[in-house]
Amino acid sequence: MAELARARRFRPGPRLVSALVGGAAAILVLYPIAFLIQASLSVGDPQARPPEAYGLDNFADLPRYGHIFANTVSVAVAATVMAVVVGFVMGWILSRTNVPGRGALEQLMALPYYVTPLMGALAWSLIGSPSGGFLNQVWRALGGRDHLIDVTTPYGIAWVMALFEGSVAFVMIGAVMKSMDPALEEASQVLGAGRLRTMLRITLPLVLPGVLGAAIFVFAEMLGSFSAALVLGLPSRFYVVTTAMYQLVSQYPPQFPRAAAMGVSLFGVMFAMVYVYRRVVQAGSYATITGKAFRARAMDVAGLRWPLLGVCLAYLGVAVVLPVVTLLYASVQRLATAFPRAGNFTLANYETALSLDAVRAALWNSLLLGLGTASIGVLLMGFLAWMIYRSRLPGVGVIEYVLMFPQAVPRLVFAFGMLWAWLIFPIPIYGTLWLLLIAYLTVFLPLGLRTIAGVMLQIDRSLEESAQMCGASWGYRMRTVTMPLLRPGLVAAWLLLFIASVRELGASILLMGPKAKVITPTIVESWFSTSTELTAAMALLQTLAVSLALVLLFKVARRATQPAGE
Amino acid sequence: MSDHEPHGPSRRQILKAGALLAAAPILGASRPAAAQAPAKSTKVLDFHTGADVAKAEQEGEVVYYSHDGEAGIAALLEGFRKDFPKIKTNYVRAQTGALYAKITAERSAGRFGVDVLQLSDISPAIDFQKKGGYEPYVSPEHAAYKPAYQSTPGGHFTWMGVTFAGIAYNRSKVAPPQAPKTWKDILSPAYKDGISAKLSTSGMQHMQWYMLRKLYGADFWPEFAKQRPKGFDSRAQLFDRLAKGDDRVCALAEYAGYTLFKEKGAEIDFVSPPDGLPATPALIGVVNRAPHPEAAKLFLDWALSNRGQAVNQTQTILLYGSVRSDAPPMATGKKLTDFKLLFPTDWADFQASHGAFVKEWNAMMGL
Repeated sequence: MAELARARRFRPGPRLVSALVGGAAAILVLYPIAFLIQASLSVGDPQARPPEAYGLDNFADLPRYGHIFANTVSVAVAATVMAVVVGFVMGWILSRTNVPGRGALEQLMALPYYVTPLMGALAWSLIGSPSGGFLNQVWRALGGRDHLIDVTTPYGIAWVMALFEGSVAFVMIGAVMKSMDPALEEASQVLGAGRLRTMLRITLPLVLPGVLGAAIFVFAEMLGSFSAALVLGLPSRFYVVTTAMYQLVSQYPPQFPRAAAMGVSLFGVMFAMVYVYRRVVQAGSYATITGKAFRARAMDVAGLRWPLLGVCLAYLGVAVVLPVVTLLYASVQRLATAFPRAGNFTLANYETALSLDAVRAALWNSLLLGLGTASIGVLLMGFLAWMIYRSRLPGVGVIEYVLMFPQAVPRLVFAFGMLWAWLIFPIPIYGTLWLLLIAYLTVFLPLGLRTIAGVMLQIDRSLEESAQMCGASWGYRMRTVTMPLLRPGLVAAWLLLFIASVRELGASILLMGPKAKVITPTIVESWFSTSTELTAAMALLQTLAVSLALVLLFKVARRATQPAGE
Repeated sequence: MSDHEPHGPSRRQILKAGALLAAAPILGASRPAAAQAPAKSTKVLDFHTGADVAKAEQEGEVVYYSHDGEAGIAALLEGFRKDFPKIKTNYVRAQTGALYAKITAERSAGRFGVDVLQLSDISPAIDFQKKGGYEPYVSPEHAAYKPAYQSTPGGHFTWMGVTFAGIAYNRSKVAPPQAPKTWKDILSPAYKDGISAKLSTSGMQHMQWYMLRKLYGADFWPEFAKQRPKGFDSRAQLFDRLAKGDDRVCALAEYAGYTLFKEKGAEIDFVSPPDGLPATPALIGVVNRAPHPEAAKLFLDWALSNRGQAVNQTQTILLYGSVRSDAPPMATGKKLTDFKLLFPTDWADFQASHGAFVKEWNAMMGL
């Protein structure tokens, strides 16, 4: 009886829970990474598993791909700058100003992130290819020469990457801005600072962890970007690391070791980025949510409201309306061309897309996995964020580095590590949706962690400490203080994880089995093997299904982020 | 068709493969690579099978790994399901290299989930055979296939169909009188920065590289590199770009891709150079330790029979020419014998050239 009573009294403390969750997350990441590193050191038969011999030959061979690394870094930097600037400006406009239609715009502004990068790249390829691009066709028809725009240049590729893979910056920065006490900005204005000065001197420094987190995240996304470089880079013989690796592993015999070495070499870049982030975060205090109550209020920007609205609408035009309309137009043609001909219109592409069993099953699986990944991920990553940034437990710095690993490796390469790792795992989950769920939870750890951490760093420790002083247990404090304050970050993370899962490509393309297919790789395969028109139809059907799911989810999310009493 | 008929690896290679197999048992249990007796056959519908159809239906499923596109695979599997509605079909689609990597990794880890494998490149097929990956099964339908269109020994893989390539151009970008007529014409500076081909992932591209190098010497491709060709993964991409005018000329224009896009109304023309058209087979075989062995055999027999070949030949998304001796014409009304096809005379030499091809081609494409 005494033992039973003791067992009933047992509550796992933060140390034990942290050790278990942190350890499990670290294993999720390190287990496949170990296989990846092993592959990068393989110098025998590139197909042999385990390797026949070990050495550094694959790394020694990397300098001959110097031009590809240079391409990757230059395009990633350009795209990150574009994405973060746009994300910050949009985040500021929609979170901190009284721009008209703010609520609706805010939801619309995240739309580019729902558009898969492949869909965005395809659309912009149709719009801005130098010869066949619709815009350039119209340009020549109006008497222009050559072409007006060319999206197959490095800047064109960066532009498309920023629009569709960098749109996450807006969501991440926006979540941080929403949690900021407007009293600080108001104080600045009362003391005579203008709106711009307030934005640069008050808003920007306060949201710096969020901006920096977003920048690091976006930069890593760009390093691993695949679709835009594949669709737009190949026509101009412009390879980045991911497209080069894809070619290396797709050819016979597949050059896994060389591809793995390329992926592993990106670790260094990512470590440097995480180091900078931690230094910045540790150097200053960014708490804007303190014991003092505040109510999120928008700044009155008076006459600037309309120009700011114009900026938002212009962004929506190039990132959502133009690509979707272009794809819609292409999807109802037999052979997409800028100038319509009656005989060229058809609904056959939709008939084909809907008749493919694989598409229907894949779409359903993707939505299911999105729900699973987002729900489990938010709990897991929320706890990990608390552990890393709040718990003061020993070793959390190392855990953070470990959890950032998946971001440092393009998912296509990480998937090879996972393929080898989970193939030999005794529990037969290979080829099932369970493996994809584990894969998504692993590769999206950095996304969830960064999003939640951006908000968590703004919450002053004193709130939890006050609860502790009042005698609240750790679990009670988490439930009644930390989690409610984190709610905007958690909701943003949930939505991001859901969308990221539904549009995931790199990991899924290798891990999906014949009975566990997901939609984005299916669309990519269609692009490889059928036509732009059919692929456009499939991509639009995917977007439609995801949009319907999101309408429901947004309703729930809005309720969750509404301050009590409103 | 040319006089150069293909043949499989030599006896010496097979023996060597056996030794390698003993030293590197990465693909699980395998049987000796010996010629198999034809399976006892029964007639089903209008073809012959060595499979136990009742057992196959009891297994209820067949898992197919293929390099073909989603829509092409769907068309083929739908044809099979129509004939055998009690057998479900599942598939995995990937580029041949990635597909081969996947199946190799799976089998080395003791996962055996695939029944039938189709590849577009003979090099990995021979490699898979050497590693004991195929279940030796001589289909009754093999009687309609010359030994040249089967593995050596027979029963490992078979030529399920043939695809071949000439040159194609966009009529709105290149006037027919200025269009290339021969393979050497693709070296014309007029097409610089406007010509496309496939990447080194393609078995068809390897074949073209090998055959034109044999015909015109080792300098042919370095000259072609000066054109700054653009490389893509699939024929669909090549023709998509050609039809839209993004490229003026396609140097590796598969007849199947041309037919598909011509049907859509693209302003493109196909050129058959007089020296011949490089051709490559799609290879199909039953995998050993298949989870549904009888269904796998039934599917193979069906695919090699005139019923399966009809799907291959008439679905424009596939359009593989049949090498069956009694094959009807393709959807275009033409048979393979209407074209002058180029195959290697020495397949071992062709296979051995793969490394040199990948190196030269990757460098040419800027990789």
